[in-house]
Amino acid sequence: MSLPEFHLLRPRTVEEALGNLAKHKGEIRVLAGGTDLIPSMRQKLFEPQYVLDLRGISTLRGVTPRSDGGVEIGALTTIRTIERSDFLREHYPVLSEAAATVASPVLRNMGTIGGNICLDTRCLWYNQSLPWRKGCGFCIKKDGDLCHVAPGGTKCWAAFSGDTPPALLCLNAEIEIASADGTRRIPLADFYTGLGDTYRKLQSHELVTRVFLPASSAGYRGVYRKLRVRGSIDYPLAGVAVVMKRSNGHVTDARVGITAVNPAPLLVKGAASLLAGKAVDENLAETVGDLAARIGKPLTTSALTPEYRREMIRVFTKRAILAAAAN
Amino acid sequence: MKKELIELRVNGRNYEVAVEPSALLLDVLRQELELTGPKRGCDDSSCGACTVLVDGVAMMSCTLLAASCEGQEITTIEGVSEHGSLAAIQKAYGDWGGAQCGYCTPGFIMTVKSLLAENPDPSEKDIRNALSSNLCRCTGYNQMYEAIRSAIAAERQGLVTVK
Amino acid sequence: MSKDFSIIGKPTAMVDAAEKTTGAGKYTDDLSAPGMLVGKILHSPYPHARIKNIDTSRAEKLEGVVAVVVGKDAPKTYGILPVGHDEYPLALDKVRYVGDNVACVVATSEAIAEKALELIDADYEVLPAYFDPEESMKAESDLIHDHKPHNLEKDYHHVFGDPDKGFAEADEIVEARFIANEVTHAAMEPHSTLASFETDPHTGKPGRLTVWSSTQVPYYLQHKLSLVLDMPMAQIRVIKPLVGGGFGGKSEVIPLEIIAAVAARKAQAPVKITYTREEVFWAHRGRPRTIVDLKTGVKNDGRITAVKARVVQDGGAYCSYGVVTILYSGALLGALYDIPNIQYDGYRVLTNKPACGAMRGHGTVNVRFAFESQLDELAAKIGMDPAEIRQSNLLQPPCITVNGLRVQSYGLPECIEKTVARSGWNDRKGKLPKGRGLGIACSHYVSGAANSIIRSDMPHSTVNIKIDRDGGVVVYTGASEIGQGSDTMTAQIAAETLGCSLPRVRVIAADTDLTPIDIGSYSSRVTFMAGNATLRAAQEVKQLIAAAAAKKMDCAPEDLIFRNDTVERTNGHAGMAAVGRPAEQNSAATVSGRVEGQILRGSLQQKRKDEGPKDQMTFEEAVVAAIDFHGALTGTGSYAPPPEARGGKHKGAGVGPSPAYSYSAQVAEVSVDEDTGEVTVHKVWAAHDCGRALNPVSVEGQIIGSVWMGMGQALTEEMVWKDGMLMNPGLLEYRSPSSVESPEVEPIIVESIDPEGPFGAKECSEGSLAATIPAIANAIYDAVGVRLHESPFTPERVLAAIRAKKNVKALNLTEGIDPTAPQRFREHGGSLWFKGKGPERHPLDPSRREVSAGGAD
Repeated sequence: MSLPEFHLLRPRTVEEALGNLAKHKGEIRVLAGGTDLIPSMRQKLFEPQYVLDLRGISTLRGVTPRSDGGVEIGALTTIRTIERSDFLREHYPVLSEAAATVASPVLRNMGTIGGNICLDTRCLWYNQSLPWRKGCGFCIKKDGDLCHVAPGGTKCWAAFSGDTPPALLCLNAEIEIASADGTRRIPLADFYTGLGDTYRKLQSHELVTRVFLPASSAGYRGVYRKLRVRGSIDYPLAGVAVVMKRSNGHVTDARVGITAVNPAPLLVKGAASLLAGKAVDENLAETVGDLAARIGKPLTTSALTPEYRREMIRVFTKRAILAAAAN
Repeated sequence: MKKELIELRVNGRNYEVAVEPSALLLDVLRQELELTGPKRGCDDSSCGACTVLVDGVAMMSCTLLAASCEGQEITTIEGVSEHGSLAAIQKAYGDWGGAQCGYCTPGFIMTVKSLLAENPDPSEKDIRNALSSNLCRCTGYNQMYEAIRSAIAAERQGLVTVK
Repeated sequence: MSKDFSIIGKPTAMVDAAEKTTGAGKYTDDLSAPGMLVGKILHSPYPHARIKNIDTSRAEKLEGVVAVVVGKDAPKTYGILPVGHDEYPLALDKVRYVGDNVACVVATSEAIAEKALELIDADYEVLPAYFDPEESMKAESDLIHDHKPHNLEKDYHHVFGDPDKGFAEADEIVEARFIANEVTHAAMEPHSTLASFETDPHTGKPGRLTVWSSTQVPYYLQHKLSLVLDMPMAQIRVIKPLVGGGFGGKSEVIPLEIIAAVAARKAQAPVKITYTREEVFWAHRGRPRTIVDLKTGVKNDGRITAVKARVVQDGGAYCSYGVVTILYSGALLGALYDIPNIQYDGYRVLTNKPACGAMRGHGTVNVRFAFESQLDELAAKIGMDPAEIRQSNLLQPPCITVNGLRVQSYGLPECIEKTVARSGWNDRKGKLPKGRGLGIACSHYVSGAANSIIRSDMPHSTVNIKIDRDGGVVVYTGASEIGQGSDTMTAQIAAETLGCSLPRVRVIAADTDLTPIDIGSYSSRVTFMAGNATLRAAQEVKQLIAAAAAKKMDCAPEDLIFRNDTVERTNGHAGMAAVGRPAEQNSAATVSGRVEGQILRGSLQQKRKDEGPKDQMTFEEAVVAAIDFHGALTGTGSYAPPPEARGGKHKGAGVGPSPAYSYSAQVAEVSVDEDTGEVTVHKVWAAHDCGRALNPVSVEGQIIGSVWMGMGQALTEEMVWKDGMLMNPGLLEYRSPSSVESPEVEPIIVESIDPEGPFGAKECSEGSLAATIPAIANAIYDAVGVRLHESPFTPERVLAAIRAKKNVKALNLTEGIDPTAPQRFREHGGSLWFKGKGPERHPLDPSRREVSAGGAD
C-alpha cells in the first residue's frame, strides 16, 4: 500500500512550523513519530496536500525539570525517553509505567508524547484499508454517515487508545498549544471532546508543543494497568492509571484515569472523594472499581467484547488502587 | 508528485536519490538502493521485518519517510557483516536455529544490534522484551535466545583474545 | 547421539543460513526484471454478488497504466484438487467473498496501479450470502456454486467396527460440542509472484514463461499455469526463490500466481504482484472454523470403546483442499490410539468467506483439541491419571488400524514417558498452587500422504545427483525449501551417503527447468519422500564410484567405506582415526584437500600408478577414477510410497494413509488469573517421535515452532468476522504471539527409527501442533476447574467460564460466546445495515464527486 501524494515540509524551527501550518491550514497533517499517521495514510484515512515533518525540530525534545519542582516535556520527546527518564521515574512514576507499556520497544523509539496525546481514536470499522471500508460502506468518522457499533446513532464511538494520557490526566498535566497567533496553555482534561470523530480541540493551524506536569503532582505513587491480548505491540483494550498520596496509612489525595473504553481518556470523577481520608482495603478499592466501570462505555470498536472490557476496568482499577496503596 | 533529490547515508556510504516526498524509507532502500535485506511484512507498523538503525536507534523503515531521514546515519542488515564475514550475531542465528524461513531475521538482527549497543549484558527478560518489537512465525523465539546468548559470549571471548 | 554417522544427527547450521542472516538471500519480492511492471488486484467489496458489468475504460486512460486484466482474459477454472476446479483467476460472473478477485491493473508504479483500481467501475447485483456453515447447509437457493446443492462441498460418513456396541460396553460416556475458530498461517512473507515471457525466436511472439513465486508447490503451479494459460508445461518454468514461511498457505496455487502470468501476457512485460497483508488474509487457505460434536466411551480400566464424531467445517467460498481436510479430520481419529469402533460424519460446507485450505497439522488439529479434551474429562470421571489413560490405549505396532492405516514405528509410549518424567508430572500434578495447573495431550501426523492429490503412478519425489571431476556434488531436487530446512536435509543425506563433507554438496532446488519433479512441501512429506529419493540417488552414484575405486584398490566394492572425504578398504587403517571427528574439523580438512586435489591431481595420479594398489583414496581421487571409468557420474533416485501403506478401500480411504506417522506427547504448565481470565503458559514439555533427528537443531526448531503456533491458536489467534467482512486483516489485530507471552518450550527428541524412513527419519514439523491446544485446555482445567470448549481461550471466554462455574457475577457476553455451551457462529458485534449495497461515499467514488461538485465539502 502506497502513501497518497503530498508535499513534504521539513521546518527546522517551531516558528517555521507554525508558519507552514498557518499557510496550509485545512490541508495539512503533522508528522512526528509517524507510528499513527503513516499507517493511517496507507489506509487513505488521511490524504492531506501537505505533510509537516517535525523530526528536524530539536527544541521540542527532552524532559526538563523546572525550578518550581514541576517538569516540562517537549512534545517531540520519544516515549522511550520518557520511559527511561530517571527524573520522571522518581517523581512521576505513573507516567513512566504507562510509557513502558506503549506498543513495542521499537515503536517507542519512534513515537512521541505529543503524538500519544494527539493519537487518533480507533475503531475496527475505521482503521481499515480503503478497499475494506468500501466493503462496509464507510462510517461517520471517515467518508460515511453511519456508525456500525451503535446502529442508528449519529455519534462516533471510536475509542481513544493512548496509554500515557490517562496517566497525564492523573498528574493534572497541562499542554501548550501554539500557533502563528500565539500560544495558550490548557489542562489536558480540556483537550478532548468526548466525541470519536472530532476527538480533540486542536485546530489545523495549531500544534501541541509542550506538556507540563505541576510540582503539586510530584511524588504520588502511581500505577498503570493495561488490558491487551499480547504482551507487546497491542494498543490498550482498556487501561487504568492511578496516582495516590497517603499519610499515616490514609489516602490524602488520589486520582483514577481510564483509557481505551471511551472516545476520550477520562478522569474518574468521584474517585478522589471516595478514597480521601480512608485506609485502602479490598472493599474500598472495589467500590472505586465499580465507579470507574460505570464511567467506561466500551462498544465493539476493538477486539474482546465490551462487556468484558468494562469488567476489566473494574478489576484493573481495584488492583491498581491496591497496588498503589501497598507498601 | 515531482521527485526531489535527497542524500541518504546508508551503511557508511552516501547515496543521492530522487524520491517522491511520500516515498517510504523501506521502499527507497529496497527499490532504489537495492538493499533488499529489510523486508515488508505488514502494512500497519506491527511486524518489525523492516527494522533498520537510524543514528543507532532501531526504527521501522516502513514508517519513516525517506526524505525525513536526510542527514541521519542509516544501517541496514547489509551493513552488519564485518569485513565480508559474518558478525557474531549473524553466525549465532545460523548456528542455533534463530532463523528458519529467514524473512524476519534481518529485522530481528537489527533489533538485537540496537539492544546490545545500549546494553551489552542484557538479562533474559531484557532480551525477551527487546525482541517483542518483531514478529516471527517460525521459531517461537526460543532458539533466538540461545543465539543471542551465544553471540554475546562469542563477542566477549573475541575481546579477550584481542587483548 | 548417532555415533555411527559423521553428518546425520549432528547439529548443523542450515546451508542457506548466511543468506538469511546477511540479507543477501532473495525472496520473490526482492527480485526485479528489466522493464518490470507492478500489478494490483481489485477485490470484491461484496460477499456474494453477480457481476453485471465491469468498465475498465477510465482506469485504462490513466497515465502509467499499461493493461487492465479481467475474468474474460483467462476464463478457465482451476483448483488444487482435481475434484475442486471451481476458481477463476479473476471472477467471470460471480464474486463469492469480500476480497474475491475481480480485475488486475498493470502499471508503472504501485501508486498509479492503486489509483487506477479506484477508476474501475464494477457493477454488481448483490445476492444473499451465507456465513454460518450450519445455516449454509440449509440453503435451497442462491447457491454459492450452482453444482453444489445445500452449499455442501462434500460429506463423508464412515463407520468402522461397531460403534453402537462400543458405546453399549462403555462404563462412562461423554458427549459435547467443541468449536475451534478460524486461524490463518500469517507467514511473515506476503505472497509474491513475478511472471515474465520470453519472445519466441521462431514466431516472434510471447513464448516461454518464467514464474518466480513464493510457493511450496512449484510443480503444481506449473501444472495449473499450463491449464489456465493453455500452454504446454514444457513452455513454463517455475522457480521458487527463498520463501518466507508457508505453513500450508503457499501449498496450493494462490490467485496472484496465475493473475501475474495472465497480466504479463496481456501487458507484454514482466509483471510482479506482491500481496498487501490484507490480501494475504483474503487469499487465506487457513484452518477452517470447525464444529466438532464428539462422543467418546471408555471402560473403567481406561480403554476407549467407541468414538463418534460429527464435524462441520466452515470452508469458505471455494473447494481448495477442503475435501482432503474433511477426510483428514476423520481418518486421523485413528493411528494415534487403539480405537476399536469409530463413527465419523464429516461435512465440508461452502460459505461466503475466503477459502480455507491446508494449514500446519492439516485437518487433525481441531478434532484433536476436542478428542484430547474429552479424554481428559473421561479420565477424571473414572478417576484415572490423564497420562495413564493415554497409556491404556496404545497401539501394538506393526499393525493396521480399524480404518486401514498402517503403523510401523510408534514412539508414542516413549514420548509420554519422557514428557511425564521431564515435566515432573507425577510429583507436581494436582499439587501446584491454586490457579496453576498441568495438562497433558498427545497428537500425531503423517510423513507425507501415501496417495498424491493427482492420481498417477509417478514417483512423489525424484532427485538427480551429478558429480564432476572437481569432486563437487550437485544435488538437483524439486523439494521446496520454505524455511523448514529441506535443502539442508538434502545436503546432509547426500553427504552422509557419499561419505563426503557437507560443504562439498551444493543443492539446486525447486526450479522446474533444472530439477526433477517433486510434488512439493506439504503434508510433512519432504524428509521422508525427497529424503528417500536423495538417499537412493546418492547410493546409485556411490555404487559407480565404489566400482571404480575398488578396481584401483584391488578389492570388492562392498569392502569400501565412504566417510570423511575418504574412500577406504574395510581392512585398511589410515582413515580410521577420522571416525567420529566433529563435522567442523572435517570441513576444514576438506577445503585444503580440495585445493591440493585440483592443483596436484595429475601428478598425484601418476604417483599412485607407480605405487600400485592403496588402502585408501581421497573422495576426489575416487570420483576422478569413476569418471575416467564410467564417462560421467550421475545418479537418480525416486520415491513412491509402498502399496501396503496406501490405505483401505472405502470411499475417501485415500486420505490419511502415510508411509509413517510421527508422534507427540506434551505437558503444558499454565496459570490462570481468576479475576481476569488471562492465561499464561509458563512452559511446554514436548516430546516428538521424528524417527531419527537428521539435524537436531532443525528438529528442535520445528517442534518448538509447532508448539508455539498451537499456543497461538489456543490463546490469541482468531479471524473475527462480521457478515463476511474480516474484522482483523492485519498483524496488529490478528494476534500472532510476541516474544513476551511466548513460553519456554523444552523439545524432547524421541527416535523410533522408522524402517522405511531415510536413516529412519519421519516428519517433525507438524505433528506437535495439535497436542498443544488440548494440553493447554487440560492445564486450564487443572488450574481452575473449567473446561473450555471453544478456542481461542481468550480471557473473556475463560472468565465467563470461571464465573459460570462459581455461579457468581455472570459475565453476560455478546450472544453466542458462552464458552460452556458454544452453540452458534459468533460474529463481531457490529451493525448489519450494510447488507446489500452500501453508500459509496469516498471522494474517489464517481457518484460522490457528482453529488459534491456544487457545494463545499
